[in-house]
Amino acid sequence: MKRLSMGFIPLTDAAVLIAAAERGFAMAEGIEIELHKEVSWANIRDKVNVGLLDGAHMLGPLAIASSLGLGHVRVPLVVPFALNLNGSAITLAKDIYAAMGETGADLSSAPAAAQALGQVVAARRARGEDPLTFAAVYSFSTHNYLIRHFLKAGGIDPDRDVRLVVIPPPFMAESLRNGLIHGFSVGSPWNSVAVDADVGRIAALGAEIFGWVPEKVLGVHARFANAEPEVLHRLVRALHAAAAWCEDPANHADLARLLSEPRHLSLPADVLRRTLDGRLNTAPGGALRAHPDYLVLHRDGANRPDPEHALWMYHQIVAAHQGEWAPDAAREAISVYRPDIFDAAVGATPPAPAHSPDCVATQFGPVFDPARFMETGE
Amino acid sequence: MTNDLQLRIVIVDESPVRAAILSEGLKEAGYVNVLLMEGRHNLLERIYAIDPDVILIDLENPSRDVIEQMLHVSREVKRPVAMFVDQTDGQTIEQAIEAGVASYVVDGLRKDRVKPIVETTISRFRAFARLRAELEEAKSQLEERKVVDRAKGLLIKMKGITEEEAYSLLRRTAMNEKKRIVDIAQSIITAAELFK
Repeated sequence: MKRLSMGFIPLTDAAVLIAAAERGFAMAEGIEIELHKEVSWANIRDKVNVGLLDGAHMLGPLAIASSLGLGHVRVPLVVPFALNLNGSAITLAKDIYAAMGETGADLSSAPAAAQALGQVVAARRARGEDPLTFAAVYSFSTHNYLIRHFLKAGGIDPDRDVRLVVIPPPFMAESLRNGLIHGFSVGSPWNSVAVDADVGRIAALGAEIFGWVPEKVLGVHARFANAEPEVLHRLVRALHAAAAWCEDPANHADLARLLSEPRHLSLPADVLRRTLDGRLNTAPGGALRAHPDYLVLHRDGANRPDPEHALWMYHQIVAAHQGEWAPDAAREAISVYRPDIFDAAVGATPPAPAHSPDCVATQFGPVFDPARFMETGE
Repeated sequence: MTNDLQLRIVIVDESPVRAAILSEGLKEAGYVNVLLMEGRHNLLERIYAIDPDVILIDLENPSRDVIEQMLHVSREVKRPVAMFVDQTDGQTIEQAIEAGVASYVVDGLRKDRVKPIVETTISRFRAFARLRAELEEAKSQLEERKVVDRAKGLLIKMKGITEEEAYSLLRRTAMNEKKRIVDIAQSIITAAELFK
């Protein structure tokens, strides 16, 4: 039995890794996964770097940024498996959401909600009030890029008109309550936690902004991938089987219970169940906001890492001024994603359906053009 | 060197005892500007206000991601902050992570000026871990003594022997079976429970 130490952050999308460890999928591949609950993405990266962890539940953009050495020493990572797509939402403070409603906009539409927020920001500026502050969970995260896209759609410059800060997920609701921030972009279940505590309203689901966006991945050090390819294949197979199990709604009750355990997420099972099912309360006991693609754990080839997604994330890094554009770096970013390892491990899978208008199924606003980006950096 | 001792050092640690041990260590080494940062509230604002040269933070602190934002967003920072140890110093980074601490320094500060600070931090973190391990061990030794005492009591009662004889019987059996006395004592207690 091969033992592997794997890190995770308590989020719903750690489901596939936790299920692989706890529901016999790793065992079936002759692997014992020892789960380590971590408190920060920085720890995940550093512990994988020095070998205290063999691999981890990791933000896709963190894997790209670490491999490029952005903001930190370079840590060459390999992504052979995508743990999920989508799964986040944007939650705003109650008073901000109420002010958006007063503009008369139809807040059930994400682009209309973004424009309403733009009016609220402009009105505050006209009154000479402090700019609003929004939080994401980490600088190199899809959540950060989601809220930037949303703000821009509302005519808001994310670098000038508002402040963007980083707050760890478990402190989001509290920070919203005490007025430190006015909204946040975070993965499940923390939006639902803020709604249930009646401190915020879900303004847009991530899937209403980007319909097919990379989120968490399995990240391992290149050293491990090179030294023990066969073990990595077994791990990928175990995760793939676990992902199919997690995706099946028949298993959601069991999965929600497993995730709710204190050693995992330590949160109420019914909240987790709603996020697995993609049915979110936008206000306490209020209207449900449902989306079939709210959180995708397996279907439609979601687990096969798509190199174009890697390039899209690098594009977001450049657009957010977190890194300079360079053709070499773009190629390096693409090479972090390893569909070849995935294919070698699980065999040929049916081709994933194509997404439009781009690889992340952008729902409104500028569309990603990989050829143009490789050519011009824009 | 005197200039180095003026470096502003901020310690962010959820364990007040460890923070005190580290702060004391740095002050002993001659650093005069050492500040402890408590709580999570407005951490970034407070750090900006102090404008430190070096930030030391324990690994189990969720505020690490908050502090790392300063590495990625330079707009609001007076001086850019970077992670200590560059690519060539993998060993120090490994030692620090294993000891449970991360350090950030302002960009451009020479490595040799920061190295003694990081080394003191690593050794103090290790000392704290040793202290805690010793405490744990003292606790478990106390537990073990209780187990041995109970087993001795059982032997005295069942075999009608003295305490000394009971102890030497335990010790002899442990030696013969190449086990620890506490393990033999535990099996006697378990057996006695079964025979009850």
